[in-house]
Amino acid sequence: MGRIFGLYRRLVAIRIRAQMQDRSSFLLETLSTVLVSGVTFVTLALVIQRFEGIGGWSLGEIAFLYGLVEVSFGLMDMIFSGFDPRDFGNRVRLGTFDQMLLRPVDITLQVFSSEFIVRRLGRIAQGAVVLAVGLHLVEIEWTAAKVLYLPLVMLGQIAFFGSLFIIGSTITFWTVESIEVINIFTYGGAEMMSYPMHIYPDWLRRFFTYLLPAIFLNYYPALYFLNKPDPFGAPGWAAFLSPLVGAGMLALSLAIWRVGIWHYQSTGT
Amino acid sequence: MRRMPIVVRELKKTYQVALQRRGALGALRSLVNRKTRLVRAVDGISFEIAPGELVGYLGPNGAGKSTTLKILTGLLVPTSGEVQVGEFVPWRQRRSYVAHIGAVFGQRTSLWWDLPVIESLELLQHIYDVAPGKFRHNLDEFRKLLDLDAFVDTPVRSLSLGQRMRADLCAALLHEPPVLFLDEPTIGLDVVAKERIRQFIRHINQQRGVSVVLTTHDLSDVQKLCQRVMIIDKGRLLFDGQLSKLQERFGGRRQVVVDFGERYEAVQVEGAEVTQHEGQRATFEFEQGTISASELIGRISARYRIQDLQVREPDIEATIRRIYEQRLLG
Repeated sequence: MGRIFGLYRRLVAIRIRAQMQDRSSFLLETLSTVLVSGVTFVTLALVIQRFEGIGGWSLGEIAFLYGLVEVSFGLMDMIFSGFDPRDFGNRVRLGTFDQMLLRPVDITLQVFSSEFIVRRLGRIAQGAVVLAVGLHLVEIEWTAAKVLYLPLVMLGQIAFFGSLFIIGSTITFWTVESIEVINIFTYGGAEMMSYPMHIYPDWLRRFFTYLLPAIFLNYYPALYFLNKPDPFGAPGWAAFLSPLVGAGMLALSLAIWRVGIWHYQSTGT
Repeated sequence: MRRMPIVVRELKKTYQVALQRRGALGALRSLVNRKTRLVRAVDGISFEIAPGELVGYLGPNGAGKSTTLKILTGLLVPTSGEVQVGEFVPWRQRRSYVAHIGAVFGQRTSLWWDLPVIESLELLQHIYDVAPGKFRHNLDEFRKLLDLDAFVDTPVRSLSLGQRMRADLCAALLHEPPVLFLDEPTIGLDVVAKERIRQFIRHINQQRGVSVVLTTHDLSDVQKLCQRVMIIDKGRLLFDGQLSKLQERFGGRRQVVVDFGERYEAVQVEGAEVTQHEGQRATFEFEQGTISASELIGRISARYRIQDLQVREPDIEATIRRIYEQRLLG
C-alpha cells in the first residue's frame, strides 16, 4: 500500500512539474478558467435576480448548490484527469496505454496518475467563491451533523463524476466517435446538477433519480442543508445517500472498466 | 538470472473487422446491422525459444509479426493456442509477468515525453522496484555501451529517433529481464545508428545471456544478428531455422558469371539456365544440390573459352521474396 501511494505521488508530481515549467502560461490559463466560469455565474446571477429566483429558490440558495457542484466537479476534473475520456481515447490510439500495460503496476493506478491538470484550480476557485457567496446570502442553521456531512457530500459528488469519466474512458475501447455522447452525460449532468432538480420535467428528473441517481448527490443534500421541504415526499434519509451513491457508482464504473480492459486485450486496436 | 524458455503451441488470433457499406444509407445500415469479416492475423503458429537465443522474426507488413509479439508480451489475448514464457502465461498473469520481460515497440517510447531521459529511467527504477545498487550498476554499464551521456539530461521529445531508441533499450533492460522483445528496433534509423543498436543487442545477448526476439523487415538485421530466423506470412510460419538452412531449403539459386575469351552467339549448358548474356559476359543460374559449381564450370569450359569467372552466393532477400511469392501462388 505504501509503495502504491509512493508511486502515485511520484507520477503525479511529474505531471505537476511538467505543467509548471512555463509558469506564466500556467497562470494565464488558470486565470482564464476563473474568468470564463466566473462570467457564466455572474450572468446567471443577473438572470436569477431579474426573475427573483428559480423555482422558488433564492439567489443565495442556488449559489450554494451551484458552488458546491462546481467545486466538486473541478476537484474531480483535476484528480481524475487521467480518465478524461478525450485524452484517454488519444492515449489508446497512440499506444501510450499499451506502454502502461507493459509495466508491472496496477493499470488503474497508472491511468489515474497519468495526468493531473492543475489549472482546474481555476474552476475550483470560482466554485468556491460562488459557494462562499451562497453561504453568505443564506443563513444555514449549522449543526455538528451538517458540518461533518458537507465534505462527505462533496466526496460523493467527486466519486460520482469520476465514475462518469471512468465509464467514458472505458467506452473509448469500443468506439472513439461516441465520446461526445458520453460528454453530454458528464458535463451536461454536472450542469443540470447545478440547479434545483424540481424545475426539470418529470421524465428528466426520473432519469436522474432511477437511471443516473444524480438527484441524491446534489438536490436532496441541498434540501437538508437549506432546511427546505421536499416537493416529492422522499423519505428523510434520501438526503444522506450521497456518499453511498457516489461510492456505488465508482465501484460500478471500475467493474465496467475491468470488462473494458479485457475487451481491449481480446480485440486490440 | 531466471531462465525463461518460450513455448508457443498452435497460436491463433482472429480479428473481426467491420465491413464498410457504401454511402450515407450504408453508414446507417452498418450501425444497425454490422457486417464483419474474420481476419486470421495469426493462424496456427508453434515454436520454442530456448534461454539465450537471438531470434529474428521476419515477415512483410501485416504478416502477423506484431500480433504475435503483442501476445508474447501479454498485451493481447489469443483466440486459441498456448503460450508459456517461463512459469507465466503472458495475458493471464500480465502484471507479474511484465516485471520479467523487456519490450521495445520501435515506433513508441516507454519514456515520459516531457521528462529528461535520466528522470524517466529513475522513475522506471521505482516502477520496477529495482534495488539502488543494481540500478546504478546497470545504468553505468548501459550509459557507456549506448553512449547516453550526451543526451541523458535532454527531454525525450527533443531526442533524435536513434537517441530515443538507445534510451528505450536502456529503459527496457534496467530491471534485468531474461527475455527482451523488440518490435522493429532499427526502423527509420541511418546505417550508423542501426549498427550501434545491433552491437548493443548482440552484447546483452552474449554477455548477459538475455533471450532476444526481434521483429524486423530489414534483412541486414537478421544477417548480422540472428542465429535463427522465423519467417511468417499471412499468419503462418513459413520457415524456422538457421539462416544458412534457409538457402538450402528454398533452393536459393547460385550464379556463375563468366567472361568469355571470345564472343558467342548463344550459350547453353546442361544443368544451368542462362539468365543474362550480353557481349562477352553471361550469367548462369543453377539450383543448389543438382550440380556443384566446379562441375558446372567444367561443363562451361568444355564448350567455351573462359577468361574470367566468379561464383555468386544466392541473395537472401531474393530468396525470401521468392518464398512469399510462392505462397502467393498457392
